Amino acid sequence: MTDTRTRPKSRTIQVSVGGIGEGEDFRDELGHVRDAGDEQISNYTINFGPQHPAAHGVLRLIMELDGEIVERVDPHIGLLHRGTEKLIEYKTYAQALPYFDRLDYCSPMCMEHSFVLAIEKLMGLEIPLRAQYIRVLMAELTRISNHLLNLGSHIMDVGAMTPNLWLFEMREDTLQFYERASGARMHANYFRAGGVRYDLTEKMLVDLQDWLDNRFQLFEDSIALVADNRIFKQRNVDIAIVHKGDAVAWGFSGPMIRAAGIPWDIRRSQPYEVYDRMDFEIPVGTNSDCYDRFMVRVEEVRQSAKIMRQCLAQMPKGPVGSDDQKVFPPSRNEMKTSMEAMIHHFKLYTEGYHVPAGEVYVATESPKGEFGVYLVADGTNRPYRCKIRPTMMSHLQAMDMMLKGHMLADTTAVLSAIDPVFGEVDR
Amino acid sequence: MSDEWFALMAVKFASHVPKMASDEGVVAAAKKAIGDALVEARELVGEVTLMVRRETIVDVCRALRDTAGLEYQQLMEIAGVDYPERPERFEVVYHLLSLTKNRRIRVKVSTDEATSVPSLTGLWPVAGWLEREVYDMYGVTFAGNPDLRRILTDYGFEGYPQRKDFPLTGHVELRYSEAEKRVVYEPVSLPQDFRSFDFLMPWEGPEYLLPGDEKAHGEAPGAPSPLPATGAVASKDVKTSAQTAKTTEKPSDTGAGAPADKTAGKQARKPRSKKAESEVGKKPRGKKA
Repeated sequence: MTDTRTRPKSRTIQVSVGGIGEGEDFRDELGHVRDAGDEQISNYTINFGPQHPAAHGVLRLIMELDGEIVERVDPHIGLLHRGTEKLIEYKTYAQALPYFDRLDYCSPMCMEHSFVLAIEKLMGLEIPLRAQYIRVLMAELTRISNHLLNLGSHIMDVGAMTPNLWLFEMREDTLQFYERASGARMHANYFRAGGVRYDLTEKMLVDLQDWLDNRFQLFEDSIALVADNRIFKQRNVDIAIVHKGDAVAWGFSGPMIRAAGIPWDIRRSQPYEVYDRMDFEIPVGTNSDCYDRFMVRVEEVRQSAKIMRQCLAQMPKGPVGSDDQKVFPPSRNEMKTSMEAMIHHFKLYTEGYHVPAGEVYVATESPKGEFGVYLVADGTNRPYRCKIRPTMMSHLQAMDMMLKGHMLADTTAVLSAIDPVFGEVDR
Repeated sequence: MSDEWFALMAVKFASHVPKMASDEGVVAAAKKAIGDALVEARELVGEVTLMVRRETIVDVCRALRDTAGLEYQQLMEIAGVDYPERPERFEVVYHLLSLTKNRRIRVKVSTDEATSVPSLTGLWPVAGWLEREVYDMYGVTFAGNPDLRRILTDYGFEGYPQRKDFPLTGHVELRYSEAEKRVVYEPVSLPQDFRSFDFLMPWEGPEYLLPGDEKAHGEAPGAPSPLPATGAVASKDVKTSAQTAKTTEKPSDTGAGAPADKTAGKQARKPRSKKAESEVGKKPRGKKA
């Protein structure tokens, strides 16, 4: 395609088409000379979002287009900025936890995970084995839940409808398990420093096993509809290729870096909780395009199911919270009979616990990538500073690099393959 | 909050937090690689922190990235922290990750409102937005960042919200104005003052001065206190209430006896029926006729 921008901007051309008289200039409303025979095309800028169904939230993209080719993208984020980090500085540690559910609201428990691990690392607090298994189990359920939403909307963003509806059916199941574990479908507030809030019932564990055994055909069917589909491949293969070096330099993590062929997974490289006891595989891409990112997530769903099965099989009986009564609240039952438990409960829900002074950076593998919490404690009951490292910020920043030279219609595929959620990016 | 609180670090280690490769020898290797740029190196709760001189940050990060054996290839995070009581109030904290060595490291520089920090955009393109965020939240400028705009706050926002002296409620609020048919900004008006409870135990947490506390420590000469001020000689013949020990040793000290019985009888509760009668026909309380 010829580059029209290099032509001289103002020329007077004698034209004799379209009813314009011989030797007559035709000027448009802006006063530019219009060349009726050979239309002069200049780049133009469009505004994508902030309210756009394919933007996965409130993302505003200022896109500079040359025809349908994207020349430059300037993502404007922050439209959902709620000052989470500032608010956390004014709350006790326990009060700060629900803010994490509202970061990446598609994978709430994984957000809580980094925060409670950061607190526990600073306090040197051990948690019971059953609580670790429950955390891993719920984190993997969260990963499945997140990927089901993302895969479904990715498929829909490139034009297919059915798989999304099927996948939502499955996602509904995961939300119901959420509700049975924590009492809330989305904003769980389930993990606690020192363990988890409630124990999972035997019935729920049985139902989870049943769900893993019988429900995944729906997932496989949905993926089978698109994975080898010609149109789906045309929309995704070779779109937004990111080379290994770029992926490292742009701070990629999670499925984005694995699709680039780097087998980096924090669950494997820097195992936390009981991930070192789990047998699972890490899918990597070969071509680092949107299709690879999609297929990496598909395989991760299967691997997560595998981890969940192992958790269910290995989970021991026992307490789900630390026995340190100065950190982990007593059970309701205990409170009715023990004066000391009553006092501990009162102190924990007014003053809260004190975290020793120091700083710590803990990152876990959230469904979207590395989700980190940099916590600076000053020895009081409130964090001095809590910096949240969103996974999406670096991926979104690379939009410009990834989209350059692609068609406008590829924007949605690239965006879906990034899997942005603005609760987390904007904080 | 000075550097002393780092000395009070937790000694226990939780075993279920992310386990990385050992940091053994990292500090020595880093010292060798970055030379006198290093101000201080700490290793606490299994995390290495390097405090470096501000102007050397680019060279330090290049050395950490490119030196064999260190190989911190990825810049994961840039965080700002505000310590208003320090002469250079801001800390800019870089978190690097080594994919090949499976380690993390933290590099810190300090700065103030006026001094800019060299930008890392030349080393890692990802630094662009991360620095924009620190600039947006703290007003720290980065020399060499080609696109240092605000990133998270609203268009036209004023102030730096993460600074400790920025109020939590902010300065403006916005609403949709039905009259003007657009969103309007107004100064924040709180129906109730912002309240911040710290819930700290007064005998464990900070030093509060509650009314009466001054008596416990004595006061400066000339203070209107019955207590002998420190250094001053109290006159022996003056007996103040504070010097009289409050004890109950004989029956007369108890306050019991005929006079007390007399007043007690007066104050005894009326029977409920009497009380009700006496209140009939009374004017409502608090209203003047």
